[in-house]
Amino acid sequence: MTAVSLPAVLAGRPGVPRVVVALLLAAVLPPLAGATPLLSEPHALLLTGACVTAMAALSLNLLLGYAGQVSLGQYAFVGVGAFTTGIVTGVADLRLPWLLGLLASAVVGAGLAFLVGLPALRLRGLYLAVVTIAVAYAASESLFRIDAIGGGSAGKVVPRPYVGDTALASNASILAIGLVLLVLLWRADVNLTRSRLGRALRVIKADESVAASFGVDVARYKLLAFSLSGAIAGIAGCLNGTAYGTVTGAGYGYAQSLALLVVVVVGGLGSRGGVVAAAFVVTLYPEVLLSIVGDGIRGVDLVINGVVLMAVVAFQPRGYAGAMADARERRRARQGGEPPLPPTRPSLPDLGRPSGMPTPRRIHRGEPVLHGSGISVAFGGLQAVDGAGLRVDRGTIAALMGPNGAGKTTLFNALTGALTPDAGTVHFLGEDVSSLAAHRRAARGMGRTFQLIGLAKAETVYENLLIAQHLAAPYGVAAALTTLGSRAWERDLRDRADATMDGLGFGRYRDTPVGRLSHGQQRIVEIGCALVTSPELLMLDEPSAGMSPAAAEDLASTLIDIRDTLGRTILLIEHNIPLVLATADELYVMDAGRVIADGEPLEVVGRPEVVRAYLGQEVSA
Amino acid sequence: MSAAPMLEIIDVTAGFGAVTVLHGVSMVVPAGSIAGVFGLNGAGKSVTMKTIGGVVPVRSGRVLLDGEDVTTLSPEQRVARGMGHVPQGRQVFPGLSVEDNLRLGAYTLRRRRRARYAASLERTYSQFPVLRERRHQLAGTMSGGQQASLSVARALINEPRLILVDEPSAGLSPVAQLELRAVLEVVRQTGVTMVLVEQNVAFGLSLVDTAHLLQTGRVVHSAPVASLDNDTLATHLGIGRVLAGATGSALLARKRGTS
Amino acid sequence: MGQVLLLGLIQAGIYALFAVGIVFVYRATRVLTFAGGEIGTASLYVAALVSTRAGLPWGVGALAAVTSAVLLGAAFEFLLVRRAVDADPVVLSILTVGLALTLLSVETLAFGSSPQGLAPPFRGGVELAGIVLSPTMIASLVVAAALGLGLQSALRRTDFGLGILAAAEDPAAVRLVGVPLARIRLVVWSASAGPAAVAALLVEPTVGFVTPGYASTLYLGGLVAAVLGGLTSLSGAVIGAVVLGLTESVAQRLFGDAGIPNLNYVVDLMLLLLALVGRNALPGLVAWIYPPPPAAPTSTPVAEEIPA
Repeated sequence: MTAVSLPAVLAGRPGVPRVVVALLLAAVLPPLAGATPLLSEPHALLLTGACVTAMAALSLNLLLGYAGQVSLGQYAFVGVGAFTTGIVTGVADLRLPWLLGLLASAVVGAGLAFLVGLPALRLRGLYLAVVTIAVAYAASESLFRIDAIGGGSAGKVVPRPYVGDTALASNASILAIGLVLLVLLWRADVNLTRSRLGRALRVIKADESVAASFGVDVARYKLLAFSLSGAIAGIAGCLNGTAYGTVTGAGYGYAQSLALLVVVVVGGLGSRGGVVAAAFVVTLYPEVLLSIVGDGIRGVDLVINGVVLMAVVAFQPRGYAGAMADARERRRARQGGEPPLPPTRPSLPDLGRPSGMPTPRRIHRGEPVLHGSGISVAFGGLQAVDGAGLRVDRGTIAALMGPNGAGKTTLFNALTGALTPDAGTVHFLGEDVSSLAAHRRAARGMGRTFQLIGLAKAETVYENLLIAQHLAAPYGVAAALTTLGSRAWERDLRDRADATMDGLGFGRYRDTPVGRLSHGQQRIVEIGCALVTSPELLMLDEPSAGMSPAAAEDLASTLIDIRDTLGRTILLIEHNIPLVLATADELYVMDAGRVIADGEPLEVVGRPEVVRAYLGQEVSA
Repeated sequence: MSAAPMLEIIDVTAGFGAVTVLHGVSMVVPAGSIAGVFGLNGAGKSVTMKTIGGVVPVRSGRVLLDGEDVTTLSPEQRVARGMGHVPQGRQVFPGLSVEDNLRLGAYTLRRRRRARYAASLERTYSQFPVLRERRHQLAGTMSGGQQASLSVARALINEPRLILVDEPSAGLSPVAQLELRAVLEVVRQTGVTMVLVEQNVAFGLSLVDTAHLLQTGRVVHSAPVASLDNDTLATHLGIGRVLAGATGSALLARKRGTS
Repeated sequence: MGQVLLLGLIQAGIYALFAVGIVFVYRATRVLTFAGGEIGTASLYVAALVSTRAGLPWGVGALAAVTSAVLLGAAFEFLLVRRAVDADPVVLSILTVGLALTLLSVETLAFGSSPQGLAPPFRGGVELAGIVLSPTMIASLVVAAALGLGLQSALRRTDFGLGILAAAEDPAAVRLVGVPLARIRLVVWSASAGPAAVAALLVEPTVGFVTPGYASTLYLGGLVAAVLGGLTSLSGAVIGAVVLGLTESVAQRLFGDAGIPNLNYVVDLMLLLLALVGRNALPGLVAWIYPPPPAAPTSTPVAEEIPA
């Protein structure tokens, strides 16, 4: 199943928390040696409960923390797992193996979550929240109470797993199973976050249009997130049902789902370690309090949970993990700030097209790389682009200029497929791509950057360069979860990311979150992201915006390098006239939605209609 | 024109987070005059406006409105003291009717002296007849030019002493720009003091009395419009010289040499 | 048939009361509040303390309940919402989940799970189609409709109400016309707690007793009704509640013997999915409940000046 073997777990391999290993040893070894378990049976059950919470937290964290989809009914999926195990293993006289129940829980959990995810494709976050609450109630109050499913008022009985002919009667043995499952899920989660799948989910959460521009099929990945989350929740439910022996709807309701939300938010959304730690703390501390203070304290823990949730959301929305990150940040700041920007003298490597991506179509000499014609876009009453067109030849830099509101970015978006124009056609490498979605155009070799930086800001430079190669490593979900069959791909991605980073002179910022770089640096990273898959055409929306003049000069030489050394084609929207004159071979000027001039840049900027467009209608003296 | 300044900005620095955008901007706007702030993208025009309005706090320096220090006041308090805004992108409330937009514009006037509102509304409608025609229409369904009129009217109806107009021509079609031109002429005739930020330099220059030219967060030149010529503008804005091709050809030579 | 209709309307009254409060908060802040049910329950405990334990009249207890709810809303805004570093509506909605959890656990801690009684304000009732209608049952739907219309007109007619609507559309721009945004938010959060208390007070005689979290299950109906009504329309919320109540009642009559306990939750879920998915599929049919949003701004968005 996963890359981690049991001996490796026992040996405390990095990435497996030592606490888990210690607990596993404590649970497994003494009974094997014929001694009394170190843990009392009630304590083992309690710890198993913590494992269940931790798994459920991982499932909610996948959905909410990684993919940004709100679920207030996660325990419905956990419950589905518990009841499925009961039904599958309880079928009269068949004595179906427990493992089959486990598998069925994962599958049914995934299936239900998939169904809940379907409306999520069209709903904004809060509508989805209401849907999930309704699911929580419908499942725990209604579905799980149907006699055929829930076994009537007594609840569904889940038999203990068998090894040979002996049932695993002790709670400690169930705890051992739970810990193994938790470690496996942890490992799968680690693999997931380091795979193209995890990266795709993170970038969807950050910005869906950025995700699409990197070639991520947003709808498909959202459904995947729901399904995986449902599967993990189902597994947690299977363990919970097995540990307690009977399952009733009351144990898997809205209240439990909200408690799980506390765990995930307090632990820190998106932080695997944080949410698992929080799961153990939140499950165990009330018992510790009870044993210290006595029965009078019963119920106070729930008040504490609610207050802590509010405080965390209001003051530290990134939870415990976020607070730790901030503390590290402050320590680093005290020890002296970031080193200044290194002189970016790029020597860009020619990486070639990644093997996972289609080779761009070959075109005849003289045929344009990009050709848009007759493009019109209207927003409400405003004709933003009005029959505009342009062509870009191979190995050249074309620039698009014009005053604010001239329609440059709108035309740009129509060319990349980010919006559908009312009229007009777009040909890319001789192929009519007018009806293709943005990510399909990206796959054909169109790389772009955004006016407002199109990067996942919270992720590091390196991560962003990996996310940008989404289409370059087309391995599937199983490979992502197990790393089997994805390693060669990932190695290739990392090599390309490293080469691009070094080529741009950004090696020392490898692990710096992009959001902490200066605006100009972010621009360069963004261009790196567009370049890393070696697209035929690079489309840049105001790359020099917010740059100092010196940085803009560096940018100019980078662009010239991309054209002359790598032989790529570039289309850029630019306000910075010196930059345009220093780089562009062809200049298009737009005003009021139309292309009013095009040709040799220096000649074009001198034309009266261009000067008029810039200085306005009434030139005063 | 009276000589007493309606607005005085003294050595203001401001910015966001770790970034400082304004590095010691100073500016005096006499009562009854119209000041223009011009500069390229990123020069700090918008931040200057937001600092005057109180949306972006100043790091150092002072802002005086009619002699009163308003540096530490909130945007709402400044509006109550006679500041009016025509924000960038117009920002009318699209889901409210035209008349409701105007009524909100008069929020502080109606609190001070409710009786004045009827007259003020009447005056606004006669200044902007198109708004009277469309008083019950949702603001978001009007054309860009009409929204610009509404945005200006919404500021004027509160009887401000100073009105801040931020990039009014941005995103407007040429026809709508002509409409806007007429609207701002109306404002000028009311005699209210105005600060205008504009990227369309010619459009702005035709309206203002004094021009303040900004480059990278500093005022590099302030002068009455009458004394400005194209060369001065070109030098201080940094666009004209390139359009004229002076430094452009040098850059071009460099490019040919390196490639 | 008459009975089915009547039962549906009684349920609709309860849902409508909660839905009106939910829509009010959403219109004013774009936040979906999940705390209304618990604010209602908590304020009901206040009423029980004042009326049942201290023996004061129902009216005094009700007043105390509404007052305490309003104060609670104000404290919530002042201590937490205002300080939330990230003002994203989803984050603030999770904040209201925190409030609900806290109130629920405080109720449990303070009053245990033993039900508290609260004498109904009026005795007697009318019998109709074999059902005894108590005055509060009739009042629920009437009060909900009145509250909805009243709030709607307060939002439209007063300057402050307009400010609330405008603040929801564009918080930055309202400050530039001089509307005090901080005060608006304080008033919205405190005022929105009022309907929750009123809802709980009117529902209680139908249910008959107060237990921790008793209003939460009914609150789900309020949420669904609010969504059915388009989330931004106060009258839509009342219509949504009626649709929901009647559907539940009809479904109970038709499928009540099918062996599905608490059928109403399944109906809620189905109706919700139908409305949310159907809104995309059948735009014409439901357009009258969901008024189309105002047309996209007719200007191209202007890029902010980006600091270097």
